[in-house]
Amino acid sequence: MKNIQIPRVVIVGHVDHGKSSFIGRLMYDLGHVPKEKFNEIKEVSDNRGMEFEFAFLLDALQDERNQGITIDTTQIFFKTKKRNYIFIDAPGHKEFIKNMITGASSADIAFLIVDVHEGIKEQTKKHAYLLKLLGLTNVIVLYNKMDKIDYNHQIFLSVKNDLEDYLKKININIHDSIPISAKHGDNISKNSTSIPWYKGKNVIRVLDNYSLEKSTISNSLRFPVQDIYKIGDKRVIIGRIESGRIRKDDELLFLPSNQTVRVKSLEAWPEAKDTYSEGDCIGFTLSDQIFVDVGNIAAKVETPPKLMNRFEANLFWLSSLKLKLNQKYKFKINTGEYSVIVKEVKKIIDTDNLDSKSSKNVLKNDICEVVIHSSQLIPMDDFTVNQKTGRFCLLDNSGIVAGGILNLKNYPDQRESSENLNKNIVAEEFFINEIDRSMMLKHRPGIIWLTGLSGSGKSTIAKAVEKKLFLENFSVFTLDGDNLRLGLNKGLSFTPEDRTENIRRTAEVAKLFSQAGFIVIVSLISPYRSERRKARDVRPEIFRLIYTKASVDECSKRDVKGLYAKAKTGEIKNFTGISSPYEEPETPDLIIDTISDSVEQSVSKLYKFIKKEFSFS
Amino acid sequence: MDDHLKKLENESIYIFRQSYKSIKNIAMLWSLGKDSNVMMWLAFKAFLGKVPFPVVHVDTEKKFKEMYEFRDKYEKKWKLDLIKGDCPPIGEVDPSLPPAARSAARKTEGLKRILDEHKFKGVIAGIRRDEQGTRAKERVFSPRDESGTWDVKNQPPEFWDQSNFNYPDSVHIRIHPLLGWTEIDIWRYIKDQNIPIVDLYFSKNGKRYRSLGDKDITFPVDSDAKTLEEIIDELQITKTSERAGRAMDHEQEDVFERLRTSGYM
Repeated sequence: MKNIQIPRVVIVGHVDHGKSSFIGRLMYDLGHVPKEKFNEIKEVSDNRGMEFEFAFLLDALQDERNQGITIDTTQIFFKTKKRNYIFIDAPGHKEFIKNMITGASSADIAFLIVDVHEGIKEQTKKHAYLLKLLGLTNVIVLYNKMDKIDYNHQIFLSVKNDLEDYLKKININIHDSIPISAKHGDNISKNSTSIPWYKGKNVIRVLDNYSLEKSTISNSLRFPVQDIYKIGDKRVIIGRIESGRIRKDDELLFLPSNQTVRVKSLEAWPEAKDTYSEGDCIGFTLSDQIFVDVGNIAAKVETPPKLMNRFEANLFWLSSLKLKLNQKYKFKINTGEYSVIVKEVKKIIDTDNLDSKSSKNVLKNDICEVVIHSSQLIPMDDFTVNQKTGRFCLLDNSGIVAGGILNLKNYPDQRESSENLNKNIVAEEFFINEIDRSMMLKHRPGIIWLTGLSGSGKSTIAKAVEKKLFLENFSVFTLDGDNLRLGLNKGLSFTPEDRTENIRRTAEVAKLFSQAGFIVIVSLISPYRSERRKARDVRPEIFRLIYTKASVDECSKRDVKGLYAKAKTGEIKNFTGISSPYEEPETPDLIIDTISDSVEQSVSKLYKFIKKEFSFS
Repeated sequence: MDDHLKKLENESIYIFRQSYKSIKNIAMLWSLGKDSNVMMWLAFKAFLGKVPFPVVHVDTEKKFKEMYEFRDKYEKKWKLDLIKGDCPPIGEVDPSLPPAARSAARKTEGLKRILDEHKFKGVIAGIRRDEQGTRAKERVFSPRDESGTWDVKNQPPEFWDQSNFNYPDSVHIRIHPLLGWTEIDIWRYIKDQNIPIVDLYFSKNGKRYRSLGDKDITFPVDSDAKTLEEIIDELQITKTSERAGRAMDHEQEDVFERLRTSGYM
């Protein structure tokens, strides 16, 4: 009984080309329709004044039976003499693409069905293209309703040529092409006498001989952290191995923090095995207490994933709202969640002729190529290298709006640059480490970096939030730009070079405080994107950028310190907003609009954000 | 354990862990049937030996004596945080439903009361796709509005193990870790793992229960299967459906869909 495989098979194609009828027929031929069920369907068909409709075996919903179409995906279990299968019926109507994807995304084998009488239609092509994005690129094509064209070989060939032409262009391989009639049972479980010119295998034989390929090409370890359980004294890292294997004593590299650590013990109930591999949901403890967070990926040191903050992707857009550039979306990849923006739509693909659409407006069910920017470094793989860690979803407040696969060829891996250890200096190890401190403090360390114009409210908010957190026993400390300039940063001017050094020093101090377990609030104009990015790179996993947003007009109206007045007369040079630029953050982790929000609202926003991000839940 | 059961086990564990991580305040339904005991077992595996959330038994007070005995024994043995919820009298249930379904709908009401009282945002239920046509259309994470309604015509997309967990406060999520299992998988797993079940499932006097519900609307089927092996053998050749003994399913064509859209498991 070892190694039995139960392939999951999906049937896709245009609406009404016979997906549900095909499965119904298959079930019937294989003897899977209980007598009572057959009678029930017969009665239902009679009630509606129809011939016996095989599709009713699957289309269980009242609306589906009344409209004669499949609305949502469904799954049925099948057994041939050789093996078991799970069949997934996916709706063909274009309104229900999201349901088609829900069904097809879990499949191992795909059937594309086309009505030879009607020929190739819009959703035939769209579904084929989606199969490619889902990684199902070895397809069995069924030419259905052969009875409607009197089993004519020529018509069959012309439809087949057209379809093969299209599939070749999108790099889909055709495993087999079978002429069938679901209604009459031709070439389903036995070879049809009505189609003597067809010399190939029937559907069941083709299925039984289909060998399952591995979904991932790479065997490199990918272990996304799903959760961390505290069991007694143990901190158990929880997750599923997406590829590769894990054994006791293996050395693991965690990303994005770039720390290596050994697997101390494997943990399971009632007892653990020695080795776990692809697909296994496991738990283990670590030899050293390093910071591991949900969404981190563990890999082998020699074969890490890439760390990216800019990358390209092929998206299928599912929302009825159009894609908005530069708007924040939630990016979910494996167990990780990040905030991203779509920076550019490179093209929208017209699946009918494979040209680019002239429009750059991405609408529901469009397939497009985009460039994505993230403020955090995200561990990921190219889809062609590892499907499991090379695909993602985008969500807005209403839920999933798109799925996509990653193309990492055109942007650099950020891992090397974040590995900026000076090779000649070896860091000294101390007995008390960060995790010990944070366990004692009952919260995680963090760097909360407030950026914004002078007078936008950074210090006001920082002071109030620091007090609130302190009263709740948080270890919190504020680094204020003006105060630092009185000591550590004394002597630095406001030229771009000195501003850069000012930020570098401040980031390093923030890092030290964070290593001591503190939540550090940094209140610093920090006008340049590039410098803020460097500050983030000091500790990307705990850095959060907060933008206190207010216009120059508003800030100069407030002008609490009288600085704007002096800047306008030229008394102060290089003043941000007046005589020196302020580059707005593209992807802050939080925006506090201090014009529309009151001080109390602003403070409460930041307070809640910090509690959510850094409290132990 | 063979690869197929291993795969199902892993899928279920992943769902359990994802629910616990992503939805605050969850509970698991424990109907005392075979599926819900398999579910309990998988929860032990997911959380390394303990169930970290409450377990709910929606008590219609019409279950079999053997089921109540089983509940009391394993509540202690498994150290469960058990919530026993009761159901309203039949008079308070939708009178347009046929009689057996009306009886089943009491359970929906009982469940709604528990959800209201404990403000659960996620409820883990042991339904399977192969049980019934509308269950085959379910999502793993299935949102329900305030009244428990299943918006079957507009279900959220769910793929690559990604789902939406961000819903208004009035919505709760039904979580279905056993959706991909079949009846025979359940039995083979029970045998492989030696999971305790109520002995009503085994044949006595030529009859056994294939599915357990309220005793007035659940009937045994003809069977000589007295052991787990015999049950597994029987299921490989049977042509009757699992829920043939559940009267509520067969009263009207659309009755199960009606029960489910209004909140039944």
